[in-house]
Amino acid sequence: MSCINVSNQKELEEIAEKLGKLVNSGDVICMVGDLGAGKTTFIQALAIGLGVKDYVTSPTFTLINEYEGRIPLYHFDVYRINHIDEMENLGYEEYFYGDGVCAIEWADLIKDILPYDYLWIEIKITGAESRQICFIGTNDYYREIAGELLEK
Amino acid sequence: MKLLAIDTSSLTATVALLDGDRLIGEYTLNHKMNHSQKLMPMIEELLNSCNTKPGEIDVFAVSLGPGSFTGLRIGIATMAAMAQALDKNVVGVPTLEALAYNLFNIKGLICPIIDAQKDLVYTALYQWTDGNMVEIMEQQVIKIDKLISMLKEKSEKIFFIGDALERFSSNLEDGLGQQFAVPPFKFLIPSASSVAGVARIKLEKGIKTDIIPIYMRKSEAEVQYEKRMKGSE
Repeated sequence: MSCINVSNQKELEEIAEKLGKLVNSGDVICMVGDLGAGKTTFIQALAIGLGVKDYVTSPTFTLINEYEGRIPLYHFDVYRINHIDEMENLGYEEYFYGDGVCAIEWADLIKDILPYDYLWIEIKITGAESRQICFIGTNDYYREIAGELLEK
Repeated sequence: MKLLAIDTSSLTATVALLDGDRLIGEYTLNHKMNHSQKLMPMIEELLNSCNTKPGEIDVFAVSLGPGSFTGLRIGIATMAAMAQALDKNVVGVPTLEALAYNLFNIKGLICPIIDAQKDLVYTALYQWTDGNMVEIMEQQVIKIDKLISMLKEKSEKIFFIGDALERFSSNLEDGLGQQFAVPPFKFLIPSASSVAGVARIKLEKGIKTDIIPIYMRKSEAEVQYEKRMKGSE
């Protein structure tokens, strides 16, 4: 695991936007962190990096929003998932193994059905504005991306 | 008799059209999982290229799983809908059987392995005897290590096919040594013409199948959920 400290929202967004420029078709980004940590903010900035023109909002009630960018962005928020059936009814496999980038908020709630490889991002609240962002890549590809994000 | 067969149980989307004993067309994509967008255009393209109208199809055949939940639902719903609209029959084929049929009359054992997430695979064991494919180990979901120790007791060469091979080929090779064999790439993925082949055998033998997905197991989360629900009763 590698971590970086940011002192304000702007610094968090810079990292997320950079990630949006680095990701490729088929990538899966898992976001975890407490309410208010900045998961949605992170994905909004990631969307800008991906070239998404629409305004990104949290899909807490719809579970998923799709956006057109350089490659499609599939934004999941699985906070309200009670049963894995709901993911199956959503046809999650076509997203996870499809041709876009999946960004999944509260990914820890659906760990059983995540693909083998993904980039795991945890945002920790360290102060009113400051955050610690930690990255775990499950394979070399994601570890390399994490490495690039840590470079200033 | 014209038969349209499909398999969307994995990443592979495959569609085939049979006219009597002749395979007149087969279309396979093994790229990304977007069957909901690709399957109908593939069927349309295949039928148009073979100058066949949907109404001319006598029987539909579909791979029932196990495999991707999403893929199975798309495939089965599509075939069931076409058959119902045209008032024709659907034949269901277990995916493991269709995969094994890729290796027609091969010497040795055939072990299809389908990804069941984590260290699990959907599998069965087949052997060709006098031109018939016999299931010598029932279809099941099993840990890869347990499968390897069961297969070690056999003496024959074992041919592995299916999408879990990518993940477990080194485990299998280490565990089974000389017994381990992998056929060339074209035999490794589902093929709708194999689904059609097994469907024809079932038709000839008059074997009826329910057209429901073979999920084979509850996902771990479902099991946990049910435990929780039972506990709170």
